[in-house]
Amino acid sequence: MKASLKTLIAGTALAVLATAGVAQAAWPERPVTIIVPAGAGGGTDGTARLLAKQLQDELKQPFNVVNNGQGGGIVGHTQIATARPDGYTLGIVYNYYQWKMLGQADINHTMFAPIAIYNVDPAALLVNVNSPFKTGKEAFDALKADASKYKIGCGGSCGGSWHIPNAELFIKYGIDPKKPVMVPSAGGALSNQDLASGGLDLAVGSLPEGKPLIEAGKLRPLYVVSSARQGAPFQDVPTAKEALGVDMEGGAFRLVAGPKGLPADIVSKLETTLEKIWKSEEFQNGMKQRNFGTKWLNSKDTVAFMQAHEASMTETMKALGLAK
Amino acid sequence: MLDGLVNTANLAKAFGLVFDPKTLAIICLSSFYGLFFGAIPGLTATMATALLVPVTFFMDPVPAIGAIIAATAMAIFSGDVPGVLLRIPGTPASAAYTDEAYAMTMKGQAELALGACLVFSVVGGLFGALALALIAPALAELALKFSTFEYFWLACLGLTCAVFVARGDPLKGIISLCFGLAVAQVGIDVVHGTPRFTFGSISLTGGIDLVPALVGFFAVPELIRNVTANHGRVEIVAQNIGSVFRGQWELFKRYPLNCFRGNLIGVLIGALPGAGADIAAWISYAVSKRFSKEKEKFGTGHPEGLVDAGAANNSALGGAWVPALVFGIPGDSITAIVIGVLYMKGMQPGPTVFINSQDLVYALFIVFFLANLLMIPFGWAMIKASRRILSVPREVLMPIILLFCVVGSFAIENTLFNVWVMLAMGIIGYLFEENGIPTAPAILGLVLGKMIEENFLLSMIKVGGDVTGLFGRPIGGTLGATTLAIWILPLAWLAWRRLGRGGHAT
Repeated sequence: MKASLKTLIAGTALAVLATAGVAQAAWPERPVTIIVPAGAGGGTDGTARLLAKQLQDELKQPFNVVNNGQGGGIVGHTQIATARPDGYTLGIVYNYYQWKMLGQADINHTMFAPIAIYNVDPAALLVNVNSPFKTGKEAFDALKADASKYKIGCGGSCGGSWHIPNAELFIKYGIDPKKPVMVPSAGGALSNQDLASGGLDLAVGSLPEGKPLIEAGKLRPLYVVSSARQGAPFQDVPTAKEALGVDMEGGAFRLVAGPKGLPADIVSKLETTLEKIWKSEEFQNGMKQRNFGTKWLNSKDTVAFMQAHEASMTETMKALGLAK
Repeated sequence: MLDGLVNTANLAKAFGLVFDPKTLAIICLSSFYGLFFGAIPGLTATMATALLVPVTFFMDPVPAIGAIIAATAMAIFSGDVPGVLLRIPGTPASAAYTDEAYAMTMKGQAELALGACLVFSVVGGLFGALALALIAPALAELALKFSTFEYFWLACLGLTCAVFVARGDPLKGIISLCFGLAVAQVGIDVVHGTPRFTFGSISLTGGIDLVPALVGFFAVPELIRNVTANHGRVEIVAQNIGSVFRGQWELFKRYPLNCFRGNLIGVLIGALPGAGADIAAWISYAVSKRFSKEKEKFGTGHPEGLVDAGAANNSALGGAWVPALVFGIPGDSITAIVIGVLYMKGMQPGPTVFINSQDLVYALFIVFFLANLLMIPFGWAMIKASRRILSVPREVLMPIILLFCVVGSFAIENTLFNVWVMLAMGIIGYLFEENGIPTAPAILGLVLGKMIEENFLLSMIKVGGDVTGLFGRPIGGTLGATTLAIWILPLAWLAWRRLGRGGHAT
């Protein structure tokens, strides 16, 4: 009895040692924190929790979502960038370069080890159903004639994810993006509500955010800033190219990243796992339920995407006179 | 007739959401929690709501909101019980008729008093739920036409109400309101992105989070008071409590008008920003006495006022949800907290919530009815167990509550900073209450301050800085004129009277 107990202890100790030896190579061996630079219950939080649950199933370690929405997301992004690059702190990064342009915080792609983009929601332009503008072209021609007559909701902060791609379209169409009266709001829902009440002439935003009021027959989308049409129920909304002849993509994105200096083997393991998750029915359905668009870019392409985001932000914010 | 008004698919979905076993279990648990909280003197329905928030964090929208609705409805009723048995109101909403109810106990009618409190709480609660379900969707249809101009005036009206309805010195009401407005200024403003009063602290850039501020403001003062004041044990006079339902039907037949009047006053006062169940009870008790055929019996253990006020404080709960859901303007301090929860659950209050989340809104209505029906058996059980509940030692209870305050404040953003916010607001709240400054206007200022400022600035951007533009739209213009009239007319009246009197003297 005594002997067998001893053997058992020795055996267990050996086993623990053995697994510990292997585990040093096999990340993750303890729970991983995912920092979400936004409050609990919002869109970013929802997508992160969806990913975290499936990462946990795949990698057999808890992936804990920690929300930090302070400073409009600046604090959370900084936390991700300054974490120890050991693979146990990851985070969700979303449209960040406006902070740099507005002089609020220098956050850029070199601070992160980007792993993959999993979501892009293209920007759109919306009008009230009673608006005289039936097409994007009608609206843009009117804006070209005298943009200062029109009040446009920013669907959140001006200079944000929805405003910038639309402003870029304005520039490409020959409209002065500084001329229209741009009206900020605390989020897309308020902007859309104001548009429905007749307080605005146009509003930039996204199709998912506008969906309830579009379906209630209060708002009409004019175009979506994407090179391909969106899935149901927005299959009838023309792309920017169809509506205006300008081929462009732009909007809000979300990606998984770690701090700079994350070991290459962890990046590649995460990349493979995330790709598997992204392709799964569970993830695609979850995103669809929450009205989020899905897009996949691997680590390398994500870096290129971030660089393009920074370049286009710089140019457009300067044209808007918002750069500091 | 209802087909056009009610989306039956969403209604069916709503029933499914509410009658999910997990949701029902949460509603029952929070009912017990509310009954307990309401019965302990000093612990209010608002405090019960504030402490529930961190817990609702981990729930789906319907159980989260259901928990709050059930807990508050139960707490408002349950506050009557120590009033009847100990002459100490469990919540401020019972204070109006505590003396009356206790006088009934002294006459040996404790059962009748407790029963009246229970039965008319249920009737009032159901009436409030009905009013909410009928008025809110209709009002939302109108509110869809509201732009920033209308919201600006509406918020101004709300603040005006807050000062007018606050009991006591209006000057103290204004002090409280200004404090709330000042706190609302902290952080980056949405319109221009300018950081204000942040003192370089990154924690302050996001502003003062409403939930820890409210937890501190409503829970901590009572905890401090509990340490500084000595609560002696009080003996319960009524030894055996018999059948509480006996005689209630006779009471209802004798005072049907009172019951209806109480319900109506409750809903109306509840819907007024800043005034909640407590003020509804005071006013309807006063109305009851004023129009009673037996005025002389009031104060001697006469159940008539209990019928009015007992119904009014429960129907006020439903009334308060109307402006909260439709405009995001809280009708009382409970719904001020609820608005924060709605945001967290992705149900942004406003007319669009009736379009975006119709199933959830229906579920909310159903929970309101359900909670008030559950009050019959639960309330009965509560009365039976009241002696045990009332003898829970406070020295055990209060530290637990403080612990919940701290954990809850931390959990919202996972930051220690919010714990400090909670404690600081708690101390300020204590100083307010000790000096007779009402807390409700401060909370309204905190909630409405941002709304007023944002909508004013946005309106100014739209009209290019022309202030007359605030009157440019029909609804906005009307609301603006009404607000200005409320501000100016009393002053003009006062000036006219002074001048008139002066004329007589000379």
